[in-house]
Amino acid sequence: MSFNDRIAQGLESGWKVIDGATLTENHTAEADVVIVGTGAGGGTTAEILAKSGLSVILVEEGRLYYQKDFKMDELTSYANLYQEGMSRTTKDGAIAILQGRCVGGSTTVNWTSSFRTPDETLNYWSKRFGLDGVSPEAMAPWFDGRETRHSMAPWDTAPNLNNDILRQGCEKLGFSWQIIPRNVKGCWNLGYCGVGCPTNAKQGALMTTIPGALDNNASMYHGLRAERFVMNQDRIDSLEATAMASDGITPTSVTVTLKARHFVVAASAIGSPGLLLRSKLPDPYERVGKRSFIHPVNASVAQMPKLVDPFYGAPQSVYSDEFNFSNGVDGDAGYKLEVPPLHPAMSAGVVPGHGDEQAKNLAGLPWMQSVIALVRDGFHEDSPGGTVSLRDDGSPMLDYPVSDYLWKGLRRAFYTMAEIQFAAGADKVRLMHLDSDWYSTWADAKAAIDGFAMEPHRVRLFTAHQMGGCAMGSNPEESVVNGFGEHHHVSNLSVHDASIFPTSIGANPQLSVYALAARNSSRLAQRLKA
Amino acid sequence: MTDPLSPTDELDSLCLDRRSFLRTGLGGALFLGTVSLTAGLSGCATAPAGRLGAVDTRMDARYQFQFLSADDIELLEALLPAILGSALPEQANARRIAIAGTVERIDMGIHKFGPANQKELRQLFDLLNFGLTRVTIARVWPAWRDATAEQADAFLQRWRSSSIGLFNNGYMALTKISNVAFYGHQENWQLSGYPGPPDWAVQALPQFRSA
Repeated sequence: MSFNDRIAQGLESGWKVIDGATLTENHTAEADVVIVGTGAGGGTTAEILAKSGLSVILVEEGRLYYQKDFKMDELTSYANLYQEGMSRTTKDGAIAILQGRCVGGSTTVNWTSSFRTPDETLNYWSKRFGLDGVSPEAMAPWFDGRETRHSMAPWDTAPNLNNDILRQGCEKLGFSWQIIPRNVKGCWNLGYCGVGCPTNAKQGALMTTIPGALDNNASMYHGLRAERFVMNQDRIDSLEATAMASDGITPTSVTVTLKARHFVVAASAIGSPGLLLRSKLPDPYERVGKRSFIHPVNASVAQMPKLVDPFYGAPQSVYSDEFNFSNGVDGDAGYKLEVPPLHPAMSAGVVPGHGDEQAKNLAGLPWMQSVIALVRDGFHEDSPGGTVSLRDDGSPMLDYPVSDYLWKGLRRAFYTMAEIQFAAGADKVRLMHLDSDWYSTWADAKAAIDGFAMEPHRVRLFTAHQMGGCAMGSNPEESVVNGFGEHHHVSNLSVHDASIFPTSIGANPQLSVYALAARNSSRLAQRLKA
Repeated sequence: MTDPLSPTDELDSLCLDRRSFLRTGLGGALFLGTVSLTAGLSGCATAPAGRLGAVDTRMDARYQFQFLSADDIELLEALLPAILGSALPEQANARRIAIAGTVERIDMGIHKFGPANQKELRQLFDLLNFGLTRVTIARVWPAWRDATAEQADAFLQRWRSSSIGLFNNGYMALTKISNVAFYGHQENWQLSGYPGPPDWAVQALPQFRSA
């Protein structure tokens, strides 16, 4: 079978794409700019710089997967497209980390929700971190531009029932709700965004900026792990990288040395601090890896009287911000309410349990509905975030202690989610907590939540949004880069991903990453061409 | 070998104080590390099982294990009936095949977890496989190959309801890798009422057509 998709055609037409697994000898390559990471930040940067006429090399640790590989199968996708084969967690194992590891990064596997950075967040950044350049007015044209580039628009098809139940519950209780903007073009409404879009409708980096960069003579290595930068005085001289075997996880003995005038790191809020720490770059105030945020997520599942088929249809189309900023930007922890898609493996991993009880839980999957709460962390002194550090083998890990402030928010979110599900007509509701039973009434659920021990492991926690760790700010004593992503101490280094956020966002972060990367890359292009 | 310490003595002294010792994640990690090391020294089989004979193990003889050792496989064969419960077929041969396939998919999954999480799982499996810690920490008296589904279930319940986070974490790790490998497999989709990707889409998409 021949493929006519953007990637297959590009490869056919002679794109400079190098699979690390095919390399047999050490070599050196050089460009104006080397970019580490091919996700929302790296892809945007590569396209803008390449179109401005600069020579660009992209480096991706994961492998290149595209339409031929996207067969709507959970197990192969989780194994190949996600960090640590979908087994990544925080240091103590208490929070599951969902994060992409492939060309396109998390944009290849995200659920397509495309929100602008909330005004409250941008205003807080301006005021608290001296970031005058990121006011809502200043950022508006960059959001406009990226919304166009990635075909983002409110979903104009009817939400699937999984999402509509969130709408119904909010309506009944008088909570606000909205339709989610999605980055899709000609979407088939199948429901498999999380395992690699099978139809190429999703306009993530893989279908937009990566082809855009490669069409403009950029080169891309995949299956190549950025190990460390080598400094020469106050500048980076080169990047040392290790080729990975075709399984994507076993390093080979082949080393690639990449030289450039400028380096951009966009390896995620866990990968970027990891690379900076491994490279022992100047960090006089020890800010690298600090203030890492994750939008801690807890969840509730409901058994509905009608078939929900939560595995089909656009995975996220309805959200509620009723509780996101209701206590002010820096008051009690706020949370955004959304819905996750439920396929068998995802459900089996999210709903804790074993034995006959678990068999019964999963047999009810077609009637199952779920709501998730994404807690907005980092806006309060009792929410200082986590820390990225290095394991003995040099790999990065995130330690994220959940503070009492966050536990309180998570408990409130449990109440809200159960109340919404009962209001929408749920027969039974179960909170994702090891001590939760199925409850048949809102009163029973409420009484049970009152007694929940809010502790690591017992509360099932997740994160799909990793942010911070290389914070931007005007004061070098409390940040790693300035308001344009330029490193405070290394003159030819920029950071262009979610790691520069000084707090979490309060919304799914892809558009925030695209917009800041576009703004900072346009400036960088001018600087390098001057 | 120059190590004059008997691994048993060392473990005994640790086990005396195991409750307080395991309260912190750090203590737990150190303890598990010690078990892994002593398990290695005392000759426990922690090397990947590689290709096992089909008769011996009821496994597909063509499958090459990359992470699980022969001991790990025995452990999982003992735990899976308790973890999967009535979702497993009752008919003996079908049941053996379902368990064997799940063990292989667990191995494939763990291979993709990468070195850091493999190390954590190695420590967990060694703790459960090493006789002394199986008895003292997991409180399972018989060897796993002789453990009943009831004993395996009681062990899982203890770790699930324990007030020690490290045991909750062990419970989640064991059940999660098993549940995902089992329910995520195409042949078991019907158990969760999942019909699979819509047929019309499969028919229309090029990646499902053979070359």
